[in-house]
This record gives sequence, C-alpha cells and structure tokens, in this order.
Amino acid sequence: MSAVVVQDLVKRYGTLSAIDGIDFEVASGTCFGSLGPNGAGKTTLIRILTGLVKPTSGKAIVAGWDVSKKPDAVRGAIGVVSQAMTTDLDLSGRENLDIYARYYSVPSKERRERIAYLLDRVELSDRAKDLVATYSGGMRRRLEIARGLIHKPKILFLDEPTIGLDPQSRRTVWDLLHQFLQDEHLTIFLTTHYMDEADFLCDRIAIIDRGKIKIMDSPALLKESIPGDDIVEIVTVARQDGMVNPPLAEVVAELSAHNFVEQIIQKEEGPYTEGDATESHHLQVYVSNAAEAIPVLMSSLQKQSLKVQSIGLKQCSLEDVFIHYTGRSIRAEEGHKVNFFIGAGVPRRMGG
Amino acid sequence: MGRVLAFVERDLRKFTRNPVIIFSSVCLPMVYLLVLGNSFQGTVKNLPFAVIDQDHGPYAKRMIERIASIEAGPGTVEHIIMLDAGKAEADVRSGRLKGALIIPPNFSKSVSRGTSPQVGLIVDNTDAISTAALQRVMTEAFTYLKVDAISVRPDRRIPQLRTLELYRKLDYDASIVPGAVIMAIFMGTMTTGAFSVVMDRFQGVHEAYLSTPLTKGELTLAILISGVFVTTLIALIVLGAGIRLTDLEVASGLSAYLAIVMVIMLSAMGLLSMMCFLLARIDHPRIVGIFGGFLNIILFFPSGAVYPIESFPPWLRAFSKVNPESYAVHALKSILFKGMNWSAVRDDLIFLSGFTIVMYTLATLNFKRTL
Ligand SMILES: Nc1ncnc2c1ncn2[C@@H]1O[C@H](COP(=O)(O)OP(=O)(O)O)[C@@H](O)[C@H]1O
Ligand SMILES: [Mg+2]
Repeated sequence: MSAVVVQDLVKRYGTLSAIDGIDFEVASGTCFGSLGPNGAGKTTLIRILTGLVKPTSGKAIVAGWDVSKKPDAVRGAIGVVSQAMTTDLDLSGRENLDIYARYYSVPSKERRERIAYLLDRVELSDRAKDLVATYSGGMRRRLEIARGLIHKPKILFLDEPTIGLDPQSRRTVWDLLHQFLQDEHLTIFLTTHYMDEADFLCDRIAIIDRGKIKIMDSPALLKESIPGDDIVEIVTVARQDGMVNPPLAEVVAELSAHNFVEQIIQKEEGPYTEGDATESHHLQVYVSNAAEAIPVLMSSLQKQSLKVQSIGLKQCSLEDVFIHYTGRSIRAEEGHKVNFFIGAGVPRRMGG
Repeated sequence: MGRVLAFVERDLRKFTRNPVIIFSSVCLPMVYLLVLGNSFQGTVKNLPFAVIDQDHGPYAKRMIERIASIEAGPGTVEHIIMLDAGKAEADVRSGRLKGALIIPPNFSKSVSRGTSPQVGLIVDNTDAISTAALQRVMTEAFTYLKVDAISVRPDRRIPQLRTLELYRKLDYDASIVPGAVIMAIFMGTMTTGAFSVVMDRFQGVHEAYLSTPLTKGELTLAILISGVFVTTLIALIVLGAGIRLTDLEVASGLSAYLAIVMVIMLSAMGLLSMMCFLLARIDHPRIVGIFGGFLNIILFFPSGAVYPIESFPPWLRAFSKVNPESYAVHALKSILFKGMNWSAVRDDLIFLSGFTIVMYTLATLNFKRTL
C-alpha cells in the first residue's frame, strides 16, 4: 500500500510555480527523500502534504485520506518535524512533549510511558526538566523528532531535519531516524539538500528542482543512471607566465572530440577559483574508460597550453547525479536564495 | 476539550515563565491610577501667583488676608508678595508664576468711596484651567471685602442652593478606580490571548501545532480561556489595590462580588474576542503594538472613565454607545460607588455578552488555520 500518493500537484504563488506538476508515490514502511537546492519547492511540498498549505490544483492522498477533504484525519495519522525549530523555548522538554501528546488526545497513562520511552531514545531523559531554551540545536532537533512521534504516527514528515546542525549532531539524527524507521513501522518522508543525507537514509529519492521532479529512483540506481562509468575532474587556473588560457568553448570542443568522452559539465563555482576567475574552470568529464582516457586528456590539454591545477578520478556520487539532471551544482544555489529564512519559517507575502 | 485545555496550559505556562509581563500588566495600570489620580484632579491646587501691593491701604491688606485664607483652606493658590510689577509679568510669561495680582495706588480709597475700585490680574491665558481658577479665587476674595461682619442670618431675598448628594462623597482618586480596572483589562487582553498566537506566528512555532488535529474553534476557544483567566486575575488585583489605595468603601456581599467578577470577565471576553478577530491574520508583534496603542486611546477616553460621556460631541457619544469599555465603566462605577443593584448593570451585562458573542463568532470565522 502507498502511504503517500501525489497526482499532478501544483502550487502557485502569483506567477511563481513553487510546485509545478508533481506525481509520485511513497510505499509504506520506506523512507522517501525529496532532494533539491534551496527554493526547489521542498518545504512547499511538505506543507501541502501535511495540510498547512492548500495546493492550487492536483491531489494528495496521505495515510489513505485526501488532504484537501479530510485534513483532520490526515493530521491525526502523521507526525511533522518542520524545517524551522518549533519547540517552545520557555517550556521544558517534557512539557513540550506532554502538551503535544494531548493535542493528539493520547490517554494519560500511555502518554507518560511514551514520553519516557521517547526521551530515552533521543537521549534527553536527564535534560527533560530543563527549559528548551537551554538546549543545543542538536538536542532541540532530537526533541522535535520525539515530539513528531509522540502519538505513534503512521508517517513522519521531516523538512530538512539536519539543516544547521554540526556534523556530529547530523550523524546522531540520521542514526535515530534509521532506528525509528525499523522500530516504529514508520514511513518517512523527508526533504533535504544534503546528498549524503539522502544517500544514507532514503530508499527512494526524487530529485526536485524549480518545482519539478527531474528523476526519481533508489540512490544506487540513480548513480547508475548517469552516463559514463567514470568521472574525470579537471581544474584549470590562470596562467602566471603572461600568456592566456584558450577560451573554455575551445577546450570543451577539443576534449569532446575524443570518442570515450560522453559528457562534459562545467561546475559553477568552488574553492579552486583563484586569480582570474575567467580562466579558472572546473570541468567534469564523463568517460567510458578512465584508464584510457586520462593520459589522452592530459596530452590534449597540454597541446592547448592550458594551465591545469589538478586532474583526478572521481567516484560517482549523488551530487553528480544532481548535476547531471539539473545542469548545475546543488551547492551553487546555496546563499543564492535571499529568502532562505522565509522559506524556512513563516510564509509572508512579499508583494506581488 | 482535552486538546483545548492542553493549549490553555501551554499558554499559561509560557506566560508565567515571563515575570516581566506579569509584573507590568499588574503595575502599569496602578501607576496609571496614581499618575492620573494625582496630576489630573477635579480641583486645581497650589497655583503660584504674586501679589503686588501698590496701595498699602486697609482694603489691600484685607484682600491679601482673604487670599491667604483661601490658601490655607482649599489651597488653590500659593501667593508671594512682590514689589516689581514688570518682574511679575515676566515671571508669568516664563511660567514661573501662573498669575500676578496688581493692587493699584488709591485702591482702598476707591473702595471706601465706592468709586468702582479695580485691581489688575495678569494671567497666562494659554493655560485655561489655571486662569479660570485664579479668576474664581479673586472673585471670592472680593466678595466680602466691604462687609465688616458677616450677618448671622442669610439674606432671605437671595435663593440658596442646596445640593442633594445621592451617594457618599468620592475622592477624585477613587472615582478613577474603575478606569484603572478597565485599563488593566485592556492591557491583559493585549498581552494574552491573540497576542500569544501572533508571537507564535512571528517565531514560526505555530507551524507545529497547526499540523496537529487542533481545530479552528478549539484554537480560538483556548485563546479566549487563557486570556480571560489571566486578564481577570490582573484586573482583580488592580481593583483590590485600587480600593486599598483610595480607601474606597465598596458595597460588600456575595452578589456585589459576583457582579464585579462577571463584569470583568465579560469585558475581558469581549475585548479578547475583538482582538482575536482583528489579529486573526496578523503575524508581526509590531502591528499589535500599533493596534494596541490606537485602540487603548480610542476605547478608553470615550468610555466615561475620565470625562462624562454626556459632555462629548454627538458623534463621540454615538461611538461610546458601541464601545464595550463604556459599558464596563458604567457597570463598575454603579457597583463600586452606588451599591449593588442588578437592574442598574443589567443592560451593561447584556451588551457585553452580545458583543462577546458577535466578536467571538467573527474571530473564529476569520481565524487562519493554514500558514
Ligand atoms: N508564501 C509564499 N509566498 C510566495 N512565494 C513563496 C512562498 N513560500 C514559498 N515561496 C516560493 O516558492 C519557492 C519554493 O520555496 P520552498 O518550498 O520554501 O523551497 P525549499 O524548501 O525547497 O527551499 C521559492 O521560490 C519560494 O520563494
Ligand atoms: Mg525548505
């Protein structure tokens, strides 16, 4: 059975299509991830599925109910951990859980047991009496996950569960979610812009960009789906000897001439840009056979008298999958979106 | 109902975690009571003014004695003797003095001959209240100037005014107690109820409870309950303190207490529902600040708490007919000053109930359940 079914879902804000015709299904008991850069429409999607935002058109069935028609039934069957931290700072950890359990009408005995169990699982039992204001970001996130599970929901929705956390806390959250997925007969729907997170947690991933699903599959199959067996990364830098590198188009044309080259993608930015940015490029060359390709590529670069900083062989990651399907790096979008906090928090109408 | 109470508990717990809010909600209306009670008395007191005696005759002396006795009695003025009329005028201009009385040479002669004696009074007529008070004092000082002995029997030809006071005498301080209570109710309804939801929206934490099964109706009910609880408590504390501070003797008895609590709760419910309706879609506390400052003035001053409603221009009188605070003030004044009488407050209770029902319905309809 499918825990979530989405058909031709559209959400428009004025002329902007935050969600632009999306279809997918999430099988019960699995972890589904929607992976995309900031502004892709992930939060909007999760808000529609949890009944917080009304879709412009299309249909969303969650836990067996149509979200537009039976929002209360849906709300009772799901747990939600939103992108922004939403626990009450001036209540203790336990009070936060207790009050939420009562919103779901969990009977008092069950409530006490469930709270004790969850506090233990998220390792907050000894801090349960303290105000949430005294918690670290990671602790607060763990408390919110516990709160999302307080009423034993069928589906847990998480919007960027590890955004803003340090690497160690991220790892803790991953392990927690991984365990809960097995112990609680849960279905998890999460959004993330971290490749490694999607790779680690999800059975299926939908790569979403500008409100559209670009591709959807398991992490392994996604990686296989991109052309070429290997990726050769070439980083060029500005020359210091008074000469100028040839234009990028010429370089790409020269490299593409080799028959083992399947695709060349230029990454938009990175730490390698030093000196004249117009002469420093980061190219990813998808090739069928790296062992054969690397010496040949090197000699043609030399022939063009291009100054190469590094050339290397790379394992295919979800990042490459993303670049392949969207034509740009997911990181390039970061810091690009001015309204990051608006996307994370309260929607506000910004004129127009 | 369990869900509603859980939300109420959340609100109350959060409220008690913030002592500054509790402290200010209780103390500010009392400060208001003291400030307005003392600075804005029904009678004017201690107006500094100068007397320049250029006559030095017996009637000038008598005039100054009369003024001194008014000073010792009602204390409207505080006089000093000056020699230089020009200096006195400058002091009036600078505001150091509220007025200067110049008794010209030959004043006493003029009085004894009856050749229309005159004195000069320099006043700062931009200060209408002080000017009027000074003129009253001077007229009074003139009245018996030529009468050497006041006759024991009043002149039977002149009608005598006897004022019949229906209620026991009230200090101005005490008469402002209902105003302070209304102020407390207003502040309570501003800082609780819908305001906590606006804060939740502002901080983005509302997203969490909006994804639970809480319904619109449950949310507005919970807001109302927690708001009424806190506001009533604050208002009763302010009322209690006001009664003690002003030595007000209040009608006692169960029905008086019941009526007071009812008026306070109904006013709180009405105002809270109105706030909830106005703020149903607001997500920034600054807007609440603007609304609050505006509503406070627009509801409070026409409520009859300070000025009698009858002295307003017609449009303002019409407004105070739909102003819930007018009814609250009327009801509280009746109970506190005139003794308990259900029929005197019946209309107030009916209006406040109706107002609450209308506003609560509008608030629930208008409440934003989505983000
Ligand atoms: N309430 C809103 N009003 C107008 N535009 C919005 C609103 N919410 C989101 N958007 C826009 O929709 C797009 C998708 O946003 P969002 O779903 O927050 O993306 P993500 O969560 O993937 O970062 C963005 O361009 C964002 O600016
Ligand atoms: Mg988002």
